[in-house]
Amino acid sequence: MAIRPEEITSIIKSKIEHFDTSVDINEIGTVIQVGDGIARVHGLNQVKASELVDFGNGVKGMAMNLEYDNVGCVLMGPDQQVHEGTTVKRTGEVISIPVGPDVIGRVVDPLGKPLDGKGEIKTEKTMPLDIVAPGIIDRQPVKQPLQTGIKAIDSMVPIGKGQRELIIGDRQTGKTAIALDAIINQKNIPAAERCICIYVAVGQKQSTVAQVVKTLTDFGAMDYTVVVSATASDPASLLYIAPYAGCAIGEYFMWQGKDVLIVYDDLSKHAQAYRQMSLLLRRPPGREAYPGDVFYLHSRLLERACKLSNENGGGSLTALPIIETQANDVSAYIPTNVISITDGQIYLESSLFLSGIKPAVNVGLSVSRVGGSAQRKTMRKVAGTLRIDLSQYQELAGFAQFGSELDKESQRQIERGKRMTELLKQNQYSPLKVGEEVLVLYAGTHGYLDTVSVADVLNYEQQLLSYVRSEHAAVLDELNQSQELTEALEGKVKSLLDEFKTVFRAGK
Amino acid sequence: MNSTNRIAAQRYAAAYDALSKTNEEASRRSVLLHEVQMALDSQQEAMNSPRITLQTKKEVVRTALSGSPETANFIELLLEAKRYYLLPEITRRVATLLDDRLGIVRAQVYAAKELTAAQKRHTEQVLAKRYGGEIKADFITDPSLLGGLKIICRGEQIDGSLQRRFAKLEEELTK
Ligand SMILES: Nc1ncnc2c1ncn2[C@@H]1O[C@H](COP(=O)(O)OP(=O)(O)OP(=O)(O)O)[C@@H](O)[C@H]1O
Ligand SMILES: [Mg+2]
Repeated sequence: MAIRPEEITSIIKSKIEHFDTSVDINEIGTVIQVGDGIARVHGLNQVKASELVDFGNGVKGMAMNLEYDNVGCVLMGPDQQVHEGTTVKRTGEVISIPVGPDVIGRVVDPLGKPLDGKGEIKTEKTMPLDIVAPGIIDRQPVKQPLQTGIKAIDSMVPIGKGQRELIIGDRQTGKTAIALDAIINQKNIPAAERCICIYVAVGQKQSTVAQVVKTLTDFGAMDYTVVVSATASDPASLLYIAPYAGCAIGEYFMWQGKDVLIVYDDLSKHAQAYRQMSLLLRRPPGREAYPGDVFYLHSRLLERACKLSNENGGGSLTALPIIETQANDVSAYIPTNVISITDGQIYLESSLFLSGIKPAVNVGLSVSRVGGSAQRKTMRKVAGTLRIDLSQYQELAGFAQFGSELDKESQRQIERGKRMTELLKQNQYSPLKVGEEVLVLYAGTHGYLDTVSVADVLNYEQQLLSYVRSEHAAVLDELNQSQELTEALEGKVKSLLDEFKTVFRAGK
Repeated sequence: MNSTNRIAAQRYAAAYDALSKTNEEASRRSVLLHEVQMALDSQQEAMNSPRITLQTKKEVVRTALSGSPETANFIELLLEAKRYYLLPEITRRVATLLDDRLGIVRAQVYAAKELTAAQKRHTEQVLAKRYGGEIKADFITDPSLLGGLKIICRGEQIDGSLQRRFAKLEEELTK
């Protein structure tokens, strides 16, 4: 082991000399019952709700239930060393997590301990996990777009900085993939507008989290990302505090005036962990055996997403909570709760996923209630009618299945719809820049694809992008930067697309 | 012991304590209950056995405690309410309630070596200043403290032991 600078003899000597000789006075209690990660403690008469208590041996706990003659605490570590008669000390603190620039690029547990083996994290500041969300006057409306790089989302369900957009769907429908793409896409964005990203893994398998970290590292996204992980094998108490820990880290950056994107993957497991704790603490169960305050559990978390006013530095915290549904049932308890607190949802459907439409966004059921005003004008112009076109197509496609004769206009709409559906497919880990999205969607909505066969649409997109990147990089740059699709710019795009007609080779 | 039991024990203890008007009465009752509990403790098996009827148990208690019908009543009440198993806990709580009446504060004082009589008296005086009332301390020898005192009193732990300081120093140096 290397000698550290603080190990110089004189420093050690002064540490020993100036070592505090005062006595420790602590309020204490005694464990009277322990099991299932819950300890009942007698004593601790002055303890406050949510206070951190110390069971010794490095095991901490949180006071959850203050009852007539005992305190119900959840343990934050293994309960093997805690037994009846163990002395418990008050700490007088609430749970907090170290925050600061050094946390970026790290994988930490919800108490801030590093999990990536890259050594201690040096920070000066800590933030309490649970703080009240900024008030109304501290905020301003959402007005800047947050680009995810996913065509279907940026065009039809645009997300604004400071928004809370729910990603909801059954298992294995690409929920995590969307969140990861949004994180990876921040790389495409100039550093000034780039979000610091926080990925909170709640109750997932260790292997899945390791895979996520590897993916983010491979794409160079760990340079601006923090991963907070409480896996399935951790105590429920850690799962319960994980989203708040991630949020506290995010809020630190937000108050520094930065933009932050936080992903909670996923809140269904978070609610289940809370249910487990509540039932073991003998709180009364309600619907689906969740405790009565499970709504508050998520609302107080998601309320912390916001766009701060300019006086407060103008930072923002955008939240992408993820909810897993069972058999597409969005009317279950937790999904309805979270839908009602968020500003919209991206609804992923397994039937779409299985029929090869990836990302499997159900356009009809996905909405963004505030992102529209934040969308770039260029994007709004090309995507304006996309949603209506697609839903008309789906309606007509239903008729067409009966083999009924359709008029010319309807046939045209069906053909257009088929191509647009195809065009909105997008591979994982390949987010596009805004300009590229605008260009591709422009081609689709302005009929440039009508002459291309459906099977060739993605091929067309590929070739178009590589052609423009090499031959017309200036136009692409302009599209990336400009806020509005001026007539001059639109002219350039048109001529470029006309020119490409001759370059495009079908069936390759 | 679950919380229902603790709450029940507290209620029985409070009721028993409330029988006494004066402190003398209260200490007499507390001592009596303690003795009864100790005596019955040797009869645990019989008292808890389901093969002996409630009636028999009551009779035994009544004859044994013919001198103090009140305490006999109390034990019978516990037997009837199926709370007899709480008797040791109730006795402890009655003693605590008596301490409260008399203004006695209990303390546990741990030291590495046996303290001298003067040191003990001094410790009690200091504690009396902090907590008020009359301090009754149990002095316990615990060599693992190495030096200094550790005191537990009124739900507080005052730790001035060398052991804790070393532990803290270790924490500091290995940080
Ligand atoms: N756009 C896409 N194109 C191709 N494959 C995709 C796409 N999106 C997701 N996948 C693949 O689908 C699978 C499921 O994706 P993902 O893990 O994101 O789903 P999930 O809904 O988060 O699943 P879980 O319920 O297990 O958390 C993965 O193997 C992923 O690689
Ligand atoms: Mg997932």
